[in-house]
Amino acid sequence: MREPRDIPPPVSTGGVTYADYQSSKPVDPRVVEAMLPYFSQGFGNAASLHAVGDDATATLEDARARIACFVGAAEPAEIVFTSGATEANNLAIMGYALRNRRKGDHVIITEAEHISILNIAKYLEKNGFRVTRAPIDLHGRVSPKKLRARMTDETILVSVGWASNEIGTVQPIEEIADMLAGSGIVLHSDAIAAEGLVPIDMGAVPVSLMSLSSNDIYGPRGLGALYVRKGVNVAPVLLGGGQERGLRSGTEDLASIVGMAAAADIMTAERVDEVRRIKRIRDRLVERVLTEIPGSHLNGHPTQRLANNAHFRFDAVEGEAMILGLRDAGIAASTGSACSSKTLEPSHTLISCGLLHEEAHGSLEFTFGRWSADDDVDRIMDALPGVIERLRKLSPLYDALASAAAATEPPASTEKKVAR
Amino acid sequence: MKSTQYSEKTLEHFRNPRNVGTLEGPNVAVGRVGNPVCGDMMDIYIKVTDDDRIEDIKFQTFGCGSAVATSSMVTELVRGMKLDDALKVTRGDVADALDGLPPIKMHCSNLAADALHEAIKNWREGVKPEDAVKATGGTACHARPAEVAEVEIANLEAYEGRGLFTKLDDLSELADQRVVVLDTGDAAAQTAIDLTDHTARVVLMTAGKEPSVSPAVRSALRLSDVKILAEAQPLELLGEGELERIRVHDLNEDEEYELTADAFVMLK
Repeated sequence: MREPRDIPPPVSTGGVTYADYQSSKPVDPRVVEAMLPYFSQGFGNAASLHAVGDDATATLEDARARIACFVGAAEPAEIVFTSGATEANNLAIMGYALRNRRKGDHVIITEAEHISILNIAKYLEKNGFRVTRAPIDLHGRVSPKKLRARMTDETILVSVGWASNEIGTVQPIEEIADMLAGSGIVLHSDAIAAEGLVPIDMGAVPVSLMSLSSNDIYGPRGLGALYVRKGVNVAPVLLGGGQERGLRSGTEDLASIVGMAAAADIMTAERVDEVRRIKRIRDRLVERVLTEIPGSHLNGHPTQRLANNAHFRFDAVEGEAMILGLRDAGIAASTGSACSSKTLEPSHTLISCGLLHEEAHGSLEFTFGRWSADDDVDRIMDALPGVIERLRKLSPLYDALASAAAATEPPASTEKKVAR
Repeated sequence: MKSTQYSEKTLEHFRNPRNVGTLEGPNVAVGRVGNPVCGDMMDIYIKVTDDDRIEDIKFQTFGCGSAVATSSMVTELVRGMKLDDALKVTRGDVADALDGLPPIKMHCSNLAADALHEAIKNWREGVKPEDAVKATGGTACHARPAEVAEVEIANLEAYEGRGLFTKLDDLSELADQRVVVLDTGDAAAQTAIDLTDHTARVVLMTAGKEPSVSPAVRSALRLSDVKILAEAQPLELLGEGELERIRVHDLNEDEEYELTADAFVMLK
């Protein structure tokens, strides 16, 4: 294992203040360094029977063991490498449902899931399965009680993301796992947004299937993994030479796998300090936005949220226009507005939380990470109030008086009461 | 193609929009299209000379980059034009003048041209600006007065005591819930305002363009945290055992959608 360093080595964002870590993360230069020998030297195929192949097998199994250790898996064999998080989700849900069809035809997901889960669920419905979507509360949390109310004798699989990739709400996954333990219903969790930010220990939480991504712990893109608890049977969704215990055919990408293992080692060593640092940056942005920008609101859970996530909405302005304004100011962020999506539909998660469409259109997401710095918040706050003010001047919807009143003590003459 | 892959010209108009604002006076008309639900809404103001020429033009737009840019461009294209010629300006003209738009954004250019045409129509029909901007949506507008008697909500009885409230003795019962209050007048609106002491999420749903309340309650509403959902009618209560969603008829778009809610307050 590598020695943790106080300051991670530099990466470049090309001068941009990068606050979109949820979309993509830089690969840690220490990870790149660990990968380099596996392109031109340790290039063997782990399936080959000669010495070069044997070296590859040893490297592959060493990496598998380190990633198993990262999530507290009982055995390295419980880790199956995939091409990324999307494939891990496909293998988990489609693979489990198809393999266990005789046990039942009912699958439960939640309304806070990533688009890949939603589309896999649609595919299952087209292929004879019934899918129920469990609701979420105002803050994006799934209620175990409401989940239980949807379970039937035909239910074979429940899929609940560990945390929302969008609004950052962390789900009560342990409670849900404990509730399902012994029921015969398997729990899958998409942990992509959560990994590296919250402790994940398969020894402590009885999740049966869990999707992981390499890039989300600052490893290379194009690689992910599915944790498959021993005894849980999954059918492959990609067929071929039978690698990865037959669950994921295709010659393993050794360099990337070594990279993911290196990323996992670094994360294990540095996560606690890193999360504390990122949370401090995030908390300062939330505090400054809510106090300095009138008509601003925080989406998601006030406390049960990922330490890197700040998700806002602003009255009377549209998200894509804010992104363009911030882009001109050299700031990278993200939005759940319909106008930035391929379908022109606003974020399903925000709508399920109970927001009106016009509110979802005004959402703006900042996510921080390993190379975020305190002065990123200053740079964002140098630009954001001006961007919003400029757009509000264009907007026929903005009611400056109402926003000012909502932000300060109401005048005594109105019947407005101080909320909460 | 990404929705934000705009031409330099589009970005330039977004950064420096021309003719932003409103117009006042006797020779002014306004056209409003879109609504905040769709994510874009535009007002285009025209000032017309005695010989039917657009003497001045201004706009206000809520929306994405191309919504702003197309509004700005349409004002530039038609300033000084005869009304009949301005009516011939199409969405294609607006998009072309911006050196093209991403395909998914073509409806924005449509909206800008529509808002202009709506303003000209309102001018010719003598619709006053204040009446024109009261209406959200130029074409798809089916405004009805908010009268609870008209409302027939499916499944109502099934949710009695399971999220449906016809009277509220203790507002704290709804603490931290997503509450939708049906606009049945001042008492309902006041209840909505009072509920904001107990929960961060209170929506006042009205079939009208604005709640049917007295001026005093209206100004209190405006300064409160109550969200107004206008031109919406509840059609059906939905949920597993207890209320979880309300199927809503969007009267402006004549579309149906589901609104997440834990409690529906319909005061008798």
